[in-house]
Amino acid sequence: MSRLPEREGERIDRSRTLSFSFDGNEVSAYEGDTIGSALFAAGQRTFSRSFKYHRRRGLMCCAGQCPNCLVQVDDAPGVRACTEPVREGMKVVHMNASPSLELDLMSATDVVGGPFTPPGFYYKTFIRPRRLWPLYEKVLRSAAGLGRLRKSQPEREWRTEYRRRHADVLVVGGGAAGLSAAAAAAELGADVVLADEGPEPGGRLLAEGGRERARELTERARLAGVELLENAPALGAFDGLVPVWQGDTLHQVRAARIVYATGAIEQPLLFPGNDLPGVMLSGGALRLVELYAVKPGTRAVVAAVCDRGLDAALALLDAGVEIACVADLRPGGASGPAKLLLRRNVALMRGATVLEARGRGGLQGVVLGRPDAADGEGERAIGCDLLVVSGGSAPATSLLSQSGARTGYDTERGQFALTHVPSGAFAAGEVAGAGELASAELSGAVAGAEAAHALGFGDELSHTRAEEGRRTLARDHGRPAQAAVPPPVTSRRKGKCFACLCEDVTAKDIHLSVKEGYDSIELSKRYTTTTMGPCQGRMCQLPAVRLMAQETGTTLAEVGTTTARPPWHAVPMGVLAGRPFEPAKRSSIHGRHRELGANVLWAGDWRRAYDYGDPRGEALAVHEAAGLIDVSTLGKLIVRGPDAGELLDRLYPNRFSNLKVGRVRYGVIASDAGRITDDGTICRLDDDSFYVTTTSSGAGAIYEWFTWWLADWGLDVHITDVTQGLSAVNLAGPRAREIISTLTPLDCSAEGFTYLDGKRAEVAGVPCLILRIGFVGEVGYEIHCASAHGEHLWDALLDAGAGHGLRPFGLEPQRLLRLQKMHILIGQDTDSESNPFGAAMPWIVKLDKEQDFIGRWALERYAEEPPETSLVGFRMANGHVPTEGAVVMPVDGSPMGQVTSARHSPQLGGVIGMAWVPAALAKDGQRVTISDEGKKLQAEVVTTPFYDPDGEVLRS
Amino acid sequence: MSFEFLSTSEAAPARSPMEREARAAGAVFERRDGWNVAVRFEDPQAERERCRAAVGFADLSQLGKIELQGELAAFAGGGALELGTALRSDGAWWCPYTRERALVLCEAASTAGLRERLEEAAESSPGLASVIDLSSSLGALAIAGPGARETFARFTAIDLRPQVTPVGGFRPGSVARSAGAILREGEERYLMLFGAALGRYMWTVVADAAAALGGGPVGVDALDPVGQAAVHA
Repeated sequence: MSRLPEREGERIDRSRTLSFSFDGNEVSAYEGDTIGSALFAAGQRTFSRSFKYHRRRGLMCCAGQCPNCLVQVDDAPGVRACTEPVREGMKVVHMNASPSLELDLMSATDVVGGPFTPPGFYYKTFIRPRRLWPLYEKVLRSAAGLGRLRKSQPEREWRTEYRRRHADVLVVGGGAAGLSAAAAAAELGADVVLADEGPEPGGRLLAEGGRERARELTERARLAGVELLENAPALGAFDGLVPVWQGDTLHQVRAARIVYATGAIEQPLLFPGNDLPGVMLSGGALRLVELYAVKPGTRAVVAAVCDRGLDAALALLDAGVEIACVADLRPGGASGPAKLLLRRNVALMRGATVLEARGRGGLQGVVLGRPDAADGEGERAIGCDLLVVSGGSAPATSLLSQSGARTGYDTERGQFALTHVPSGAFAAGEVAGAGELASAELSGAVAGAEAAHALGFGDELSHTRAEEGRRTLARDHGRPAQAAVPPPVTSRRKGKCFACLCEDVTAKDIHLSVKEGYDSIELSKRYTTTTMGPCQGRMCQLPAVRLMAQETGTTLAEVGTTTARPPWHAVPMGVLAGRPFEPAKRSSIHGRHRELGANVLWAGDWRRAYDYGDPRGEALAVHEAAGLIDVSTLGKLIVRGPDAGELLDRLYPNRFSNLKVGRVRYGVIASDAGRITDDGTICRLDDDSFYVTTTSSGAGAIYEWFTWWLADWGLDVHITDVTQGLSAVNLAGPRAREIISTLTPLDCSAEGFTYLDGKRAEVAGVPCLILRIGFVGEVGYEIHCASAHGEHLWDALLDAGAGHGLRPFGLEPQRLLRLQKMHILIGQDTDSESNPFGAAMPWIVKLDKEQDFIGRWALERYAEEPPETSLVGFRMANGHVPTEGAVVMPVDGSPMGQVTSARHSPQLGGVIGMAWVPAALAKDGQRVTISDEGKKLQAEVVTTPFYDPDGEVLRS
Repeated sequence: MSFEFLSTSEAAPARSPMEREARAAGAVFERRDGWNVAVRFEDPQAERERCRAAVGFADLSQLGKIELQGELAAFAGGGALELGTALRSDGAWWCPYTRERALVLCEAASTAGLRERLEEAAESSPGLASVIDLSSSLGALAIAGPGARETFARFTAIDLRPQVTPVGGFRPGSVARSAGAILREGEERYLMLFGAALGRYMWTVVADAAAALGGGPVGVDALDPVGQAAVHA
């Protein structure tokens, strides 16, 4: 056990113990422990195996930044052990090692596979012979990837809740700067949200001597009304929308202003063996000590480029870790921490760094020396089980870059720093170059105040203070950096030197990629996959740029950085999926259809009754007695006003201004190019009012089409979409008249209510609009009423028809019945090229109409030139039902058309259909061949409706 | 008038598009002003407590919803309407969608009378003015309680913070990925409007979101009268 005695401010609660399992072994932990801290305290040093070479990896950053501790937790792969809190009974298993973490057979690739696995090896090694690629692919896919996902899981076992949160100011990052910014903005009256990755706000302060201050700032922010989101990383920046993931919630934060206080990422150094378990960043070592009271090692060496590493050495010393030596890359001078170390008799090597880490299974020793010295000169080998590395820092500018910020290389600081921050965004703290506690707080306070000021909050005093703060920061920013810039690689010793820990990319791999022509950072990224792993470039961006500059002989400024893309933080795909929304429209009678045993399918955005289990029987009932179908899904518009007739005349190719009150007329909507886009019926209700129906799927588009043109023409008309306000049913069949007559006082006789009449009357006690139309070819009444009464009307009609053989019928029988009448279905029998002339409806185009109308010009052209293809009916010579889309051709000819609809008709005793054919073939009795899935089938063209061709039944 | 078929009749029960969902959740119905209304689900006191402490939602689809177009929409309810703000007048909410289109929300009992008065006004209007009864076109859910805003946050990006949407604020927009509108009727009470055909879907969405926040359905009797809720308007 490496648990330290109780420490002030530690995050663990020693009075509450928990237990969980790791690879089947029980592990004890305290409440507040992470999986990583508990396992480390229990003696575990290897946490995972690396992506390609299966090398051992141990805790490194303890902040969820690196990929070294990825484990699988209760079936969820890719969980970072160093930040995931322990829960009682959780099952943790290792990833990417077989048969065990300690004995991983694939680690042989580390020993012998290096020469065979350079960057892009799968493009080079596994391409010949080509026939073996399927085998290669199987092997590669099996070897690649981390963790295993369950192939299925019960629906909704786990899901993410989306939460939309508007705010005046969003602060990303809960360190000293972020907390100060949030408090400052909120104290000026702004509505502020702060999102922080850690389990408690405070950032570096928590583990680096500022715990009390962190808690003071947090309390101040809370008192000011800031909504603090903890364990909540921001995933990206999307034009003012910042998704923040917090457990099972994805906050979609839309803020008027955003303050980015994202800090900086401590950087590793590149040297052979830099990935051995036992090599840790200084921040990681300190977090283990300060937050979880875990001793990260017994004998340590520290390699630093700035005081941060030296401070860590002092803290570790206080925690009882023996510090064997501190290598400070800075050549001269003695900073405060250096003097303290010397006073405590710690060996200090100036101008030196770590040249190599050694060990099998874990760190056993290091070699220190000057990076520019000749081999062996002044080197010192030291045995140790902990190497603390502090290679400087890289400002975490990724989210800012996604917001439109730009960065440039700061030679003095050896990092890419912000050069431009877009309007609406503010940067504070270490990401803005204010890394020291005092300047970070001031930087945050200024940014928070400025964000609030931009929204009109604050007063003269707050403005003055912000301006003073800005001036102070500008002065401090000019101070020289107190850090050395490390070389890309600290030594030329043999051994793998990892630039990218996620993807196992070595310095040599970068060298090879440049040699092969991938000589820009973006190309190298794609070729080697550096920066594309779980760390998203946190650990490898700056080292890769340094290596690239070295290999290409250019400056870091010239190399630049890769494009920052979301997600900034690794996130399960399920989090992005969110809660399931499926806006399904249902008619007010839908429940009844279900009770009647309907098979329900999607039809556009509606759920509709496809049939009631017997589509043929349902169709026959319509011919022999009566049928009832729910057509509430039809689009329905009220068009009213003194210019309503003119509007319709302009929108349709036929006339409506001369339609008599109480009459119905069929209409086809044509586009500017004269192509059919929709159809429906129009009933004139009174002089100024029309009731327009459209196809079910076209309702929304046609409403927009009407209102768009109305706005352009400025006619005195109002349009209201009443699609969802009206239920509509179609009662059809030879006994329909008898049935409806029992429910309405209206004269429904053939003389009193003729074909294409539209009348208003009560049916079953509710006010209705009844249209005498017949899409299915029998005497029909389309009855419309308020949807609140839809179920009542349906029930009343079924009851009234019970003794007349009335049956409900669904969409499928309706499609057959309309096919018998050769009534077209828009979108089924027509496509974007179909015009009324080709669709055998030349009669609907009134070119003699005085009113100009949409598509007139094109329709005039079509009228002058006979169509090349025509929509016709066909009757199959045998009983085969061709597939919709099957090819039509002249007998023994080449393909010249296609089938659009086909059904077997029990009424007609054969297979019928509709198809587009060359106009020359559009004549009754013409024989054509239909090629369907390899079969050549004979059919005969029909140009008049199959059923009731003269419409006598319909009009009767 | 030409459009009586758009309106409900006392002769037959008018049903909300969410009636089946409410019934499945245990609603007790009463016929009120021609509509089957879910008046309670459990103990009314417990439902009031739910609205006071968490969040409750009630089906108010029976409300009268009358669309005005033309000049009437600009000057309705006795005053000029401002976009984004509903006017409480004459026992009804007058909600502007655009400068030429508004929706009037009233109790079911007063729908017919108000519609007739508006139709008379439309006829005497110098310009074209339209009055259309959309009571059956739109479903309505009242969402009340301290968790109401959080409930909305689960399915709409409409900004309902008090500083943006004060009492009386009317916000047409995308609700659960569909066209809808939200009216803030009181400090912690909102009315959500949506296409009637989406009733079942919306009930599912709201029930799911509210359940996660300790809420659930309540009968209309658990809600304060609209007028009382709108006192602050």
